[in-house]
Order: sequence, then structure tokens, then C-alpha cells
Amino acid sequence: MTFAGATACSRSAVDGNYTDAFMSLRSAMAHRNLLYLLSLKELRTRYKKSILGWAWSLLNPLSQMLIFTIIFKYVFRQNAIPGDPSGLRNFPLYFLAGLLPFNFFAITTSVSMGAVQGGAGLIKKVQFPHEHLVFSVVIAQFVTLMIELSILTIALLLSGSMVLPWLPLMIAVMCMLALFTTGVALVLAAANVFYHDVNYLWTIVSQLLFYATPIIYFPQAISLRPLVLLANYGPTGSFITASHNIMYDNRIPGFGRLGELAVLGFGSFFIGVWIFNGLSPKFAEEM
Amino acid sequence: MHDIALEVSHVTKNFRLHSEKTNSLKQLVAARGRNRFAEFTALDDVSFTVHEGEVFGVIGQNGSGKSTLLKCMAGILQPNLGWVKVHKRMSALLELGAGFHPELSGRDNIFLNAAILGMGRREIAARFDEIVEFSGLESFIDAPVKTYSSGMYVRLAFAVAINVDPRLLIVDEILAVGDVTFQQRCLEKFVEFRNDGRTIVLVTHDLGSVKNMCDRAIWLTHGKITGEGDPSDLVEAYTEMMLGNRNRDVDGRVRRGSGELQITSVELFIDDNPDAVKRFRTSDSIRLRLNYHAARPVPKPVFGFEIESLGGATVTAPCTRDVGLIPEMVSGDGHIDIEMDSVSLLPGTYDVHTTVTDFNRQHEYDNVHLALRFDVMSGKPYETGALVTMRPRWTIN
Repeated sequence: MTFAGATACSRSAVDGNYTDAFMSLRSAMAHRNLLYLLSLKELRTRYKKSILGWAWSLLNPLSQMLIFTIIFKYVFRQNAIPGDPSGLRNFPLYFLAGLLPFNFFAITTSVSMGAVQGGAGLIKKVQFPHEHLVFSVVIAQFVTLMIELSILTIALLLSGSMVLPWLPLMIAVMCMLALFTTGVALVLAAANVFYHDVNYLWTIVSQLLFYATPIIYFPQAISLRPLVLLANYGPTGSFITASHNIMYDNRIPGFGRLGELAVLGFGSFFIGVWIFNGLSPKFAEEM
Repeated sequence: MHDIALEVSHVTKNFRLHSEKTNSLKQLVAARGRNRFAEFTALDDVSFTVHEGEVFGVIGQNGSGKSTLLKCMAGILQPNLGWVKVHKRMSALLELGAGFHPELSGRDNIFLNAAILGMGRREIAARFDEIVEFSGLESFIDAPVKTYSSGMYVRLAFAVAINVDPRLLIVDEILAVGDVTFQQRCLEKFVEFRNDGRTIVLVTHDLGSVKNMCDRAIWLTHGKITGEGDPSDLVEAYTEMMLGNRNRDVDGRVRRGSGELQITSVELFIDDNPDAVKRFRTSDSIRLRLNYHAARPVPKPVFGFEIESLGGATVTAPCTRDVGLIPEMVSGDGHIDIEMDSVSLLPGTYDVHTTVTDFNRQHEYDNVHLALRFDVMSGKPYETGALVTMRPRWTIN
């Protein structure tokens, strides 16, 4: 008897729930070609039928930057706090250093829910690792993030901040953010199959998170103690603060902080994979 | 003994009834504490084994659990009890072109779709040309799929699916896609598959293809296996059961229709012999007589009959409209004679079914299944292996 192919043995629901995350990751690796092609599809089809195409992925954060800069400067009449030790005093760049990673998190999680929901036709007709629907969104969005960050890097260089040596650390932190985001996206996407409220609820939550994260303000400006803690040590706050440290201040975020990010990244990822795989055998039935 | 390709063991699948489904938190909270859903058993303790190289059929009415079984075999649904084991590389064709993206080109979609079906990149690249050739879409392969006609779309999808090179192919009702030429090609591909010793599981309504293609079949009724074995016997029993849902007349014949005009009996004569018979020889000249009774005058009826072999092949099915014989009105009792000279039927048993319809063949006055059964005995010419003779004249040079 030969056992061939990745689809060799379909699990029964009785003993098959909550298989360990590593086994599922191995199956995901076996289908890495699918993952590659799905990500490519995600990237290729995103700006089809639009004249500006990929420029939109830059125009969106740039317009936000413009709006918030005007509000920050002329409505709230705040001054940018200089980066320590970089000495850089520039609100738009500070804003982008926080906004780009946050947008990656917010957009990826929300698009992932749609990707799994939109994959209903596929899920009901073909057996394949469902997590790839989420992974491919993460990868495509990560590519976008990298392009956006390179624009930010150019802007930083133009304003005289020598940010190049800090990029490897930034990329490492962004990888942790990607793992963290994947975990959250997996849980949300799976839950959303069963209860569509999750999608609507998450829109509100990510809006709250946007304001609870130091993006349009400097953490030093907060006066309320719990908000300070949230801004500094909340999950998104942690990643954004690290991004500010590296890109705006040009300093290492501190080993405690880096450790926290690693725990958040890997922890979220594995919990996400575990929960998603427990729920995904029931997708076809629920959709 | 052959290797086992697929094992289905005591599979039971329950569904929550759709109307009771809670897809929002509010419904969930509101339904708390009450009996939240009624259960429906789609598959009830289904077990069977498919061996390598077999063509295995699954038949059953709508709602008999065929699709659920298919999805359990394909690994899309998880059974509540029991298990399914697939021992060979499997490709399940539940829907063609699942996962095609309209904005992507045919080329990109081939790669994506093949990857979804479980192929590696190198494997796809190696088979790419074959896939394109099979689809016959060489000149459109770089155009976005959204510009394809539905026929082109299906052809491309089928070309990908069939070229995944599975050892076990699970097919759902998709033999009837595309135009006649493409259907022919698909059929050839299936035959090629079968001759290669690959395993095919065919889930279908099309009893003809089950009878013609399958080595073994099961019959599902309300989620249970009601029969397993030789496809011909099974299809016969199945047809009988299906027709049994309709009326049976006093003679035990199966009939349906509105009944204003009925075929009361069918008689068979040889030449001008006045005695009705039940058998004749190849090349005899025969006469079929359809006796009818019209309860009230019926305008422009169309009489027809069908001769079917025991194996289920329709030999001929003429009707009066084909020859322009349309009586303005029939009433009371009467009969229609059909003369057939030197009949080409070869030895075997045949059934006659009759129909009477209105002129447009929309309304059925009467339809009698198995109005007459007759035997053909060997005459001249004598041949074996088929239903009719072409009266060949052989010369060997």
C-alpha cells in the first residue's frame, strides 16, 4: 500500500480536532507552492482596473499623514518632540513610522476575514489548507509594508537622519509584528466564519486601538496613567513604540521590549494556528 | 486481491438544519438554553471499499446523501462518526474552476488552480503544455479568464483537473460539460484513465454512464446504502423503484400521464399471421399494434414507442409526428399498426415502452413502461456482441 500526496489521509472529526500546530505547519509547507501563488494573486489582483494602481498603497498613508499633520500642528498647536538621540524633530515622519506598521496590522486582520469568507466557494469544493488564505494576505500586505517603509526610509534620509544601519533591526521587529498579526488574523477569520459580527466588531476595536496607540501623539503627552501603560505596553503600542525607537529615535528599543515582542509574535502565531486548525474542519459546513 | 484505493468506514454525518443556524452573536444569545437546532442525518453508517483500478458508481435520488458522501470522501466535510481513508493521490472534481480568478490570465489560473488541487510548481510546469493543449485554448491563454466564454472556462478547468494525474479520481456530475466534441474528449480521457488501471469514483444521476462505465456501484437512499454490486442490476432496481413511485395499472405495468387517451395493450405479429406472438427471429418482418382507448375525443395526439434492450440501450424510438401522421381527432377505441420489414435486431430480450402525448410533446396523455417484452431468436444474419446487424457483406481479398 502506498501513501502518496499531501491529501493522503483525511482526518476524522472525532479525533482530528486540535491537531498540533506543527503538524499543520508541515502540511502548510507541503503546499508552499499554493501559498506562493495565492500571495501573488493577492498582489496582482489588488489594483486591477485602477489607473494609479500600486500608487494607491502609497497615496493612502500619505493623505492620512497630511491630514493628521495639519490637525496636529494647526488645530491642536502641538510641537513635535525631538527623537532621542537622533534629534529629529518632524511630526509627519514620526507619524508615518507609527502608522505604516499599524496599518499593516489593521488592514491584514480585516482583509483576512474577507479572504476566508470570500474563499467559501473554494472551501466548499476543494480540500486544501485553509490557513493559506490568511497567510497569503499576510505575505501580500507585508510586501506592501516593505515598499512603504522604503519610501519612509528615503524620506528620513532626505531629512538628514542616517537610518540605514537601523533597518535590519526594523525588519526583524516587523517580522515579529507579522507573526503577531497572523495569529490575530487567524483567530478573527475563523471566528468570523461562525459569527459575522466579528467583522463589524473588529472595525470598532481597531479604531479604538488606533487611538490607544501612540501614532498621532507622543506617548509623553498622555496624562492618564492607564492610557500610558496601554500606549507603552499594549500589544500594538509595544510594536509601534519599538518602531518609533528604531526609525525616529535611532536607538535599540531595550531588551525587555524586544523580548516582549518576540513572545507576542510567536505566542500569537502558535495560538492562532492552533485555534484556526481546530475550527477549520467545520468551515465547509458553516459557510 | 487489488490494493485498496479508498475506504469508507461507518461514516455518519449530521447537519444542523439551515433555518436554525446562528450566524450572529445576537441569535446565539437569544437561542441560549433552548434546543438550538434540529439535526438531520445525511449519511447513516455508510461503509464500503473501493479497490484500485475499479470504476465505482454512487447513485441515488436528490437528497439521498450523494453529495455529502462525496464531500466526506474529498475531505471537505468531516464525518461525525466513522472515517474515510484515501490511500492514493486523489483529485476530487466537485466543481470545475473552483478558485479561478477572473482577473488573472488563463496561464496564471492554470498554475493557481493546479496548486489548489495539490500540485507542486515543477510538476505544473512539466504538464503545462499538455494542459493547454487539452483545453484547446492556446491562443487565449494569456487573456484574463473573465473574457472567456463559459464553455472555454469549463474546458480550461477540466483540462487542469484531469491533468493533476491522480490515481484516484472522484467525479461529480461533470461528464456533461462543454460541447459535444469536448464531452467526447472527456469521455476518452476517462476511458484512458480506466485503462491505465486508475480508480474512478463516479457520483451521478446519469444511470447510463453508471451502467456503461462502472464495475461496481452502491445505491444510497436517505443516507443509507440500499444496494451494492453489479451496476446493471442496481440501475434496474433503482429505475424500478423510481418508477414505482408512479402509478401501476391493473396489469402491474408502470404508467403515468393524464389518461384521456391510453394505450390499452401492445401486440406483436409476424408477417400477416393473425396470432400475437412474443418472439421472432432476426430478419423477420413484424407488425406492432398499439391498441388505444380515448375516454373523450383527443385532438392531434402523437403516438410513440421505444424499443430498449435489457442492458438499457435504446434501439429505436420513433413517433407518429416524425412521419407526419397526425390524426385531427381520435375517440373511442382503435389501434395503430407499425410494420417493420426484415428487422435488424440481434438475439436478446427487448422491452417496448409506449407514449401518447399532445402535438407539442409537452403534455403526456399516457406513458407505459414495459408495455411489452419480447425475445429475438437467432436468424439470418447471425451475429453476437451487439444489438443490431448492418447485414454486412464480407469479401476478403
